[in-house]
Amino acid sequence: MFSFTNDQKIFEISNIKIGGQPGMHPTVLFGGLFFKGEPDFKIAGKNITKMLDLSEKTGNPGIVDFFIRKEDYVEEIIDFIEKTIPTGHPFSVDITDPSVKVKTLEMLHDRKLLSRTIYNSIHVGITPEEYDALKRFTPEMTILVAFNPKDKSPDGKIEVLENGAHLTSKGLMSISKEIGIKKILVDTAALAPGDNSGAAIAAIPVIKEEYGFPTGCAIHNVVEKSSWLDGFESVRKNVDAASNVNIPLFGGDFAIYGPVANAEMVFPVIAWQDILVSEYAENYFGIEPVANHPRRKFF
Amino acid sequence: MDKKVKTTVIGSYPAVFDNMVFMDDYFNQNESSWNKIIDYAVDDMVEAGVDIISDGQTRDPFLVIYARKLKGCRIRDRIEVVDKVRYNGSITVDDQIYVKKRLPKNKELVGLIAGPYTLAKSCVDMYYNDTKELAFDFAGALSEEAKNIQKYVDMVSIDEPFFSVEMPDYAEDLITIITKGLSRPTRLHVCGDVSNIISKIVEIPVDILSHEFKASPELFKSFKDISFPQEICLGSVRSDHPKVETIDEITVHIQNGINVFDDKICQLSPDCGLRNLPRDIAFKKLKNLVKAGEKIYG
Repeated sequence: MFSFTNDQKIFEISNIKIGGQPGMHPTVLFGGLFFKGEPDFKIAGKNITKMLDLSEKTGNPGIVDFFIRKEDYVEEIIDFIEKTIPTGHPFSVDITDPSVKVKTLEMLHDRKLLSRTIYNSIHVGITPEEYDALKRFTPEMTILVAFNPKDKSPDGKIEVLENGAHLTSKGLMSISKEIGIKKILVDTAALAPGDNSGAAIAAIPVIKEEYGFPTGCAIHNVVEKSSWLDGFESVRKNVDAASNVNIPLFGGDFAIYGPVANAEMVFPVIAWQDILVSEYAENYFGIEPVANHPRRKFF
Repeated sequence: MDKKVKTTVIGSYPAVFDNMVFMDDYFNQNESSWNKIIDYAVDDMVEAGVDIISDGQTRDPFLVIYARKLKGCRIRDRIEVVDKVRYNGSITVDDQIYVKKRLPKNKELVGLIAGPYTLAKSCVDMYYNDTKELAFDFAGALSEEAKNIQKYVDMVSIDEPFFSVEMPDYAEDLITIITKGLSRPTRLHVCGDVSNIISKIVEIPVDILSHEFKASPELFKSFKDISFPQEICLGSVRSDHPKVETIDEITVHIQNGINVFDDKICQLSPDCGLRNLPRDIAFKKLKNLVKAGEKIYG
């Protein structure tokens, strides 16, 4: 456990604070919805309620990450967000198709939801149309995915943030600055097992020390893709949940932990890890946990 | 191939890629491959009729390709040297193997090595504070790469543009470190105006000298009265200008070269790497270069 020498940025969105020195703020947990098939809003609603209850109980903020796979789903998912996510609570939209991104931004603007929106994500695949849409309909916060296909080490991730690794004309940080998004979360881009997957964890302290931005990743993806775990199917979910512990352990600020339905396993594990980090950080570095920190809830 | 004068490239070719393909790989947790991008470049060179082809150096600007894989370097806005420079295993070997397998039997492959002095002068040195020491460590590391690629290529070309700006006293030693022990023919490419350093360049132990004769035709005059042992790779189309030279224009240029170098000309090439040109322009330039070469040499 450690503390960073560089100033650590803390960003707030709809009353959730994220970032800072290890031990100060609880790890923010992003649970995903609608990865596969048709959106099932009934089950989703129940899972969101469960996650928010767990968040209340542990102190770890929970944010729903809505995966919007195609244009047809944009309107109904945004309707659902309006109905289900408590006013004054943030949410994130996770979209891969650039044209769906543009449509979603426009609709979030029309519904006046952009101030609660975490945009997941800006990466080297940004298109001119997406860039223009982001300039017109600017979300409050964005995730930058530091994926560099040329260099998957922490250095490569820094390169893509800083100069675009000769894949884009500018670094991702400059792009978001130009767009006008000041609240940046860095996703260190976890890769499949055998493809330098550990670098996503190693990059967390490197990026925090270098830039001070709140940093995290979707390390659970590595577990999900592991064929080695096929031989341990009964504990795959445990391993999946436990993998997130690496994030606060390495000074990270948020975990994109997979399906929101996994909240029951993930929240207590992360809360426990946050307590350990906080105990040491306060004793050794004098960093006090905030009022809603899990350590304050448990002791 | 029987003909003596071959068409070739200096190294780079325009890179054509779609970043969303990489991102789709990432989202699906598949390992990204650069092979398709290499294919575009190699296929264009083959289709244009070039005899000695490169891997296209499409991955990065040429210095970055090497610095990215060397220990002691890291890539930021510029290349930064943060520790002792050492070879850390293959830099371009996999690409050479890939291209070699792909090439038709009548085509040859040139393996490319960044110049150690150009690397040393182009990076931010945060470790050595001594250009000479840094350049020699780059040379040592790159000599290992040269040895490793020569198994797969037909020629090794060292690209040392910074010599035209400043040629150190130890230039010959640096290049010798790389060329020593190589069994393949070697070429030294120095672009820019080299008229003031020709006497030094010809002392360097390589088989072929390559310069920008098209952009700097005054070099013909500078070379005229100098005797030297190397053969010449004649830069014959510009790499810094999008205008496509006609076959006739290139033919006249080659003839001017023959008037100075006679049968010392062994290769015809663009002046430098073509990376910064639009792909269609680069292709047309190569095609016309090949046709002009055929017109003169058959």
